[in-house]
Amino acid sequence: MSSGPVAEVPLWPAPDYSAPPDEMALLPHPQSDAALTAELLDKVLHPPRWLGPAILTTGAGSTVLLAAVVYTLITGIGVWGNNIPVAWAFGITNFVWWIGIGHAGTFISAFLLLLEQKWRTSINRFAEAMTLFAVVQAGLFPLLHMGRAWFFYWLVPYPSTMGIWPQFRSSLTWDVAAVSTYLTVSLLFWYLGLIPDLAAMRDYAPERWRRKVYAVFALGWHGSAQTWRRQRIAYGVLAGIAAPLVVSVHSIVSMDFAIGVLPGWHSTIFPPYFVAGAIYSGFAMVLTLLIPARRLYHLEHVVTTDHLDKMAKMLLVTGSLVTYAYMVETYLAWVGGDSFERHMLLQVRPHGQFAPLFWTVIACNCGSPLFLWSRRVRRSALCLFALTLSIQLGMWLERLMLIITSLSADFLPSAAHGYKPSLIDGALLGGTLCFFLFLFLVFLRFVPFIPVSELKALDYELRGRT
Amino acid sequence: MSPAAQTDVWAEFETGPLALAAARRLRAQGYGQLEAFTPYPMPELEEVLGLKRPRLLLSLVLAAACLGGGLAFLLMWWTAARSYPLNVGGRPLNSFVTDIPIMFESAVLSAAITAFLGSLFFSGMPRLRDPLDVIPSFARTSIDRFWIGVRDDQPEAREPLSRLLEQLGAVHVHRVEAGP
Repeated sequence: MSSGPVAEVPLWPAPDYSAPPDEMALLPHPQSDAALTAELLDKVLHPPRWLGPAILTTGAGSTVLLAAVVYTLITGIGVWGNNIPVAWAFGITNFVWWIGIGHAGTFISAFLLLLEQKWRTSINRFAEAMTLFAVVQAGLFPLLHMGRAWFFYWLVPYPSTMGIWPQFRSSLTWDVAAVSTYLTVSLLFWYLGLIPDLAAMRDYAPERWRRKVYAVFALGWHGSAQTWRRQRIAYGVLAGIAAPLVVSVHSIVSMDFAIGVLPGWHSTIFPPYFVAGAIYSGFAMVLTLLIPARRLYHLEHVVTTDHLDKMAKMLLVTGSLVTYAYMVETYLAWVGGDSFERHMLLQVRPHGQFAPLFWTVIACNCGSPLFLWSRRVRRSALCLFALTLSIQLGMWLERLMLIITSLSADFLPSAAHGYKPSLIDGALLGGTLCFFLFLFLVFLRFVPFIPVSELKALDYELRGRT
Repeated sequence: MSPAAQTDVWAEFETGPLALAAARRLRAQGYGQLEAFTPYPMPELEEVLGLKRPRLLLSLVLAAACLGGGLAFLLMWWTAARSYPLNVGGRPLNSFVTDIPIMFESAVLSAAITAFLGSLFFSGMPRLRDPLDVIPSFARTSIDRFWIGVRDDQPEAREPLSRLLEQLGAVHVHRVEAGP
């Protein structure tokens, strides 16, 4: 812009440099809108060389899942390790773990949007995609666990010739409503935020076929001020809806346990305890995915050390909440006067046959976040990565421990029985991990995974008016 | 839209602040109907353009939430207490407390779908083309171009308007005829 013609008109308000320095650090290198767009979209258009083989490998791994699912469907769930009395085991553990992982994505995109946290901008699309793919994995397990998965539609209220209806007083029907709502709302939320970037992709991509494909998904977006306003307001509404939804979904999942009368399950602390645990494991998964992606895609200037630091603090907070919940649960069992509950919490879990599981859970979930009190650990990508793996292992084992300890030793000593997983259990867990990574890599390959328009808006907001 | 062809003048800007300043200036000069296209949301610009809260959309979302929750309750009441009453340990057939989770989920689901589809519908999406597609550089809007549109219904005011827009920093000023 030459200074000539501009100088004659009244100037706009003076540049606003009042944004606090730690917010400026979220986008340390100012770039023009065009350069920022080109840089971020080129990462999708020209994927790094490792991406193709990585997609192939995880795709091959996903066939393990396919094989395990087909085998389970043909043979029946007798091929899993669970049996009476431990009727729930890997299946429900995987379900709760995967859906919990999804919660951090919604937390980042919804809660942090409502709280106007600027650091969510670079990572929200990433986290939302993670949510979607995690919920897809989660949904698989209840379906298979029904035994005859092809009758899943019996859970939906439809007028059938049998003249019966689903039992809505059972928490399992709540699960159906919660998980399907969660998947739909997450998808809409993700897509609504994505439309402007798909439009940028449509206008930026060099090849004609690519432009056409992205044009279909961009739905004719052109970014008029009116459209932006509506989009942002709808986005805010969805965030406002998604925030309580996250809390409700994992509360309902926890009620699968808390509604039952088993010692170690029948506790009112379960909903908040499960929600905290879900967000805890989810933040760990965001970091597990983000730390390598940020390095491999050279995104250190967009997803900065500050971002990692802030997420590590979230891990510390949610980890402390989980530790607190463990303490309260145990304390209530101790003073609560129910001898079965006390036996479960004070005897079976820490000293029983599954004691190694229990102590690993304590070490991973309560011990490892303590390292995050150190600023150096929070700002070291490698340390954080190792800690997130430990937290995810801990959170998975926590659900398994909760399920198998309570089921294997309930009220009658004569009914007690141990549990051993089968090979198919392992194949299903490993297979969903591969399939999750596969979906995530496909997302990195085709979708603008850093919200370009939101980053440009952030840049305008921070450096503003220059 | 009036049956007569309307003409809009569209000014292209290279930065957001320039477009914002131009909109402010045009508004101050008494140009009433302004429109804008931007690569990212600019709340200040929306204020200058005088955009209102989408009340209808928000009311529809609220209505959908109430309707979704209400219908879910009706369904659960009718199936559990009327069509197929099943005595489970003497618990009440119409148990409102156990209906709450599904009522909440249904309310959320219908509100979210309404917010999503409503925001698209009121913005005229999905659509195949835009009248402004005739301007070659309009495709750069999603990347780094800002547009301010002025309704141009007085032919005698055309020259001064173009001059003003160029003075305000527009790199190009286009005239677009929008048919009925």
